Amino acid sequence: MGLFDKLAGWLGLKKKEMNVLCIGLDNSGKTSIINKLKPDKSQTQDIVPTVGFTVEKFMSQSLNFTVFDMSGQGRYRNLWEHYYKTAQAVIFVLDSSDRLRMVVAKEELDILLQHSEIAARRVPILFFANKMDCKEALSPVQCSQKMGLDAILNKPWHICASNALSGEGLTDGVDWLTDQIRLS
Amino acid sequence: MQYLRRDKKDEEDGSQSNPFQNLDKSAVLQEARTFNETPINPRKCIHILTKILYVLNQGQHLGTTEATEAFFAMTKLFQSKDVMLRRMVYLAIKELANIAEDVIIVTSSLTKDMTGKEEMYRASAIRALCKITDNTMLQGIERYLKQAIVDKNASVSSASLVSALHLMKPNYDVVKRWVNEAQEAVSSDNTMVQYHALGLLYHVKKNDRLAVSKLIFKYTKQSLRSPYAVCMLIRIASKYLDEEPEVADSPVYDFLESCLRHKSEMVIYEAARALVNLKNLKSRDLCPAISVLQLFLSSPRPTLRFAAVRTLNKVAMTQPMSVTTCNLDLENLITDVNRSIATLAITTLLKTGNESSVDRLMKQISSFMSEISDEFKIVVVDAIRSLCLKFPRKHHVMMNFLSSMLRDEGGFDYKKAIVDTIITIIEENSEAKEAGLGHLCEFIEDCEHTVLATRILHLLGREGPRSQNPSKYIRFIYNRVILENAAVRAAAVTSLAKFGAHCDSLCSSILVLLSRCLLDTDDEVRDRATFYVNILKEKEKALSSGYILNGLQVSIVGLERALYAYVKDSTHTAPFDLKTVPLATTPMKDQVVKPGKTAIETPSAPTKASAPVAATRQDVYAEQLAAIPQFSKLGPLFRSSPKPAELTESETEYVVNCVKHVFNDHIVFQFDCTNTLNDQILENVKVEMEPSDSDFEVVCYVPRPSLPYNTPGTTYALIKLPQDASSVTCTFTNTLKFVVKDCDPSSGEPDEEGYEDEYVLEDIDVLVADHVQRVHKTNFLASWDEIGDECEMQDTYALTQMTSLEEAVKQIIEYLGMQPCERSDKVNTDKNSHALLLAGVFRGGHDVLVRARLAFDQGVTMNITVRSDDAVVSEVVLSAVG
Ligand SMILES: Nc1nc2c(ncn2[C@@H]2O[C@H](COP(=O)(O)OP(=O)(O)OP(=O)(O)O)[C@@H](O)[C@H]2O)c(=O)[nH]1
Ligand SMILES: [Mg+2]
Repeated sequence: MGLFDKLAGWLGLKKKEMNVLCIGLDNSGKTSIINKLKPDKSQTQDIVPTVGFTVEKFMSQSLNFTVFDMSGQGRYRNLWEHYYKTAQAVIFVLDSSDRLRMVVAKEELDILLQHSEIAARRVPILFFANKMDCKEALSPVQCSQKMGLDAILNKPWHICASNALSGEGLTDGVDWLTDQIRLS
Repeated sequence: MQYLRRDKKDEEDGSQSNPFQNLDKSAVLQEARTFNETPINPRKCIHILTKILYVLNQGQHLGTTEATEAFFAMTKLFQSKDVMLRRMVYLAIKELANIAEDVIIVTSSLTKDMTGKEEMYRASAIRALCKITDNTMLQGIERYLKQAIVDKNASVSSASLVSALHLMKPNYDVVKRWVNEAQEAVSSDNTMVQYHALGLLYHVKKNDRLAVSKLIFKYTKQSLRSPYAVCMLIRIASKYLDEEPEVADSPVYDFLESCLRHKSEMVIYEAARALVNLKNLKSRDLCPAISVLQLFLSSPRPTLRFAAVRTLNKVAMTQPMSVTTCNLDLENLITDVNRSIATLAITTLLKTGNESSVDRLMKQISSFMSEISDEFKIVVVDAIRSLCLKFPRKHHVMMNFLSSMLRDEGGFDYKKAIVDTIITIIEENSEAKEAGLGHLCEFIEDCEHTVLATRILHLLGREGPRSQNPSKYIRFIYNRVILENAAVRAAAVTSLAKFGAHCDSLCSSILVLLSRCLLDTDDEVRDRATFYVNILKEKEKALSSGYILNGLQVSIVGLERALYAYVKDSTHTAPFDLKTVPLATTPMKDQVVKPGKTAIETPSAPTKASAPVAATRQDVYAEQLAAIPQFSKLGPLFRSSPKPAELTESETEYVVNCVKHVFNDHIVFQFDCTNTLNDQILENVKVEMEPSDSDFEVVCYVPRPSLPYNTPGTTYALIKLPQDASSVTCTFTNTLKFVVKDCDPSSGEPDEEGYEDEYVLEDIDVLVADHVQRVHKTNFLASWDEIGDECEMQDTYALTQMTSLEEAVKQIIEYLGMQPCERSDKVNTDKNSHALLLAGVFRGGHDVLVRARLAFDQGVTMNITVRSDDAVVSEVVLSAVG
């Protein structure tokens, strides 16, 4: 750490670092959401299914986020756990228009919650009920019912509807996350 | 950088020269957990990654689990923006790619880096990406790689071209779709990109001769800027020309020739080298290339002089006349300060010069023999060998030179080369024999290499007794018995016994010397001495020739196997029968066919002294066949045909080769098949055989269950030989039969349903020679007398087609499949008559000897006498020439 960084830290000028893991089924819009959260000039137009993971960074007013955007395809989901340990928060993206696979998403959530690296820790979990613009999209309330979110007792959680293409709902979610970190 | 500087300081302190020495693998892996910590400390992590790389490169083995753990910890480092750290991560990814599991986890991260804005990442990310990808993944990143090939950043373009080359082997069908991009990259201004692009283009097309010729024509016209690319094109062109019958008329040849006037020296040299190495070029057409190399000989740059003289040295081996024009320039290099150049110059001159210059050159070279390395000393020895064959009269100069080299310091390979050369000279030139044996005797007086000492003692035992004055070798040999280690003493004892067996006059003194060895401390020496003393005391020629001069002629590996089987079988009703042991054949390494010219030459590693008992090719076959249940009861393998016969034309759909394995009453035909169609899988593959003589009975086939594309597979047929011992020859017509299943070339996934098909193969002949195994008799006349004339047959033939004695000798040896003895395969060119002495064993263990007297007068007339212990065998062997 350079002298300036240290000074900035003391004066509270330096933003706090925040390590977030972004998971959810394939095609739910994880990469699209992260992309939209980045500053305009570093956004990309070309979003393809992720293979493995990528690391992205973005900022809110008071935090620097480092996000591990994981691949949601079935055969890569068992690799998520390698990144549980270092995660300070989890973003779980749901495709609210994909009613059929909501059960699959719930299964993955249950596995996450039972994992030894997560179960005992007070990790905040932010749910995006993404693709709210789609006609057949479920509301956040419906989503949380289907996902059984009420059963999560030992962790703070929040769900909000989002549209990754327009950016609608994203700041709402990020603000909640920022608050959680500040509280902790 | 910072820690590099620190290393330097450490070095100056002298406290620790290599900070990575004695790294403990598990401690390093433990440290790798630091990667999981946030925030990341780039400097510390770079240091740990360096340690991991060091440990891996020291050859330490990492288990899958620990490697995977380290790998995933390392993936966390992608959150750091430190350029040095990221590049270290790429290196580590490449090293761990084949050890850790699930390495595809970094695919998207690498794809992002290779297409991103940070130029420092892009090329290295491509290289790492290609290491971790597999066939299914490749489809996903294909479009990025195609774009990267035509990227305007040269290092990105080169990286993707080279990666494409690596990917091509397992993913040919994907990579071949990148031809258009590669073509575009060939027109790049960057020399490396152009070179790599041409390389990729060629490797994609290299199996399609027409496409290769188009490629050559296109790029020979449109001149390439990069000298590396031109060199590449020269190599492609010369490979192409080697398959062309008429070289000099081809425009491709004109291209090579024109490259001799290129502005880059590298290209000129490459072209000259290609031209002199062309297979089908006449010596006249070599001239332009030779002149260029001649110019290089006087270049101020040592590399060029070295390259040129090395190439000329090679040419001189086959075409010494073409190199004579360079003799003057080569003379100037004799005193070159670079001794490697000087040595090559002198040895080239030795090959091209005339007899009169030999003495002068030898004197010159001896002036600096002590300054050159063993490797080049061997070059000198090789030159002397060929020189002796060329100028037999010069053998005394050479012999003296060789013997002084023997006395000098030098490693095993060097000494072995000298001994080999002396032995070759002795074998080729009987006048040199006495002197040569004398030098070798002197050498073993002070020889630290047991292998060479025993070899020379063996040679003395073979050649000494027939020399003019055998007694003079005895002292040298007996000295070994007194002074040497057990292996050498044993060899000396055997050698002495041979003198006793061969020379009656020496027998009594040999017996005295051998008796002194009866109390040797070593078992082997004592056993040998006891055995020889008892045989020699019998004073019976047949005994001593059978047990001392000729020795055991069985395969050592086969003997071991037969004895083992005998000991394991607890009944022991019959005594062990030596006839059940397969006969000795030439060791495998002598039979290996030299591979064709490879695209890029590698210097051949010096062969190490081989294992004491090398399994021969036939021993290997015997073991393979014994493992097949249908063949387990056939008895010992008698003979395998030395060369596989091709039953298909080259470049057909299916390639089939056949090896014949002859047993006591059966023949096994081994068919090695290759399926060259990538859209087919063959199943239940067998070769059906139809004999011309119905007494040959097909017993069974061993089919090959499945024959996928390009993986050789073997199927067998078992034939029972006729009861009638005199019927031994037959012709078989053969058909390859199989079930075809079409399949997807890329995945290899076959269709459910198949259909039967067949393919006609060439005929196979079973000849007399297939029933005979070569055996060497050291003293042919003794063996001839021993076997007697009870079953002798003789006949006289006029061999009208033969145009020389040499040709006749070669043909007869081939027809009979027997071993020439007493060097009777060498025909003295001055004479017009010759006696050929052959020895062998016929199937069933019958000794056969043949004496053929040949006379030349327009055609060749032959009187042939066959002796064996069985009249039918004599008759069959006689019929082989008729
Ligand atoms: N209509 C609509 N489409 C969206 C929205 N978010 C993402 N998409 C689309 O959904 C598709 C998948 O988006 P990605 O961001 O690649 O999904 P992902 O979760 O990263 O998928 P994986 O990397 O395979 O796990 C893309 O075609 C997006 O354009 C949304 O809010 N509304
Ligand atoms: Mg994604």
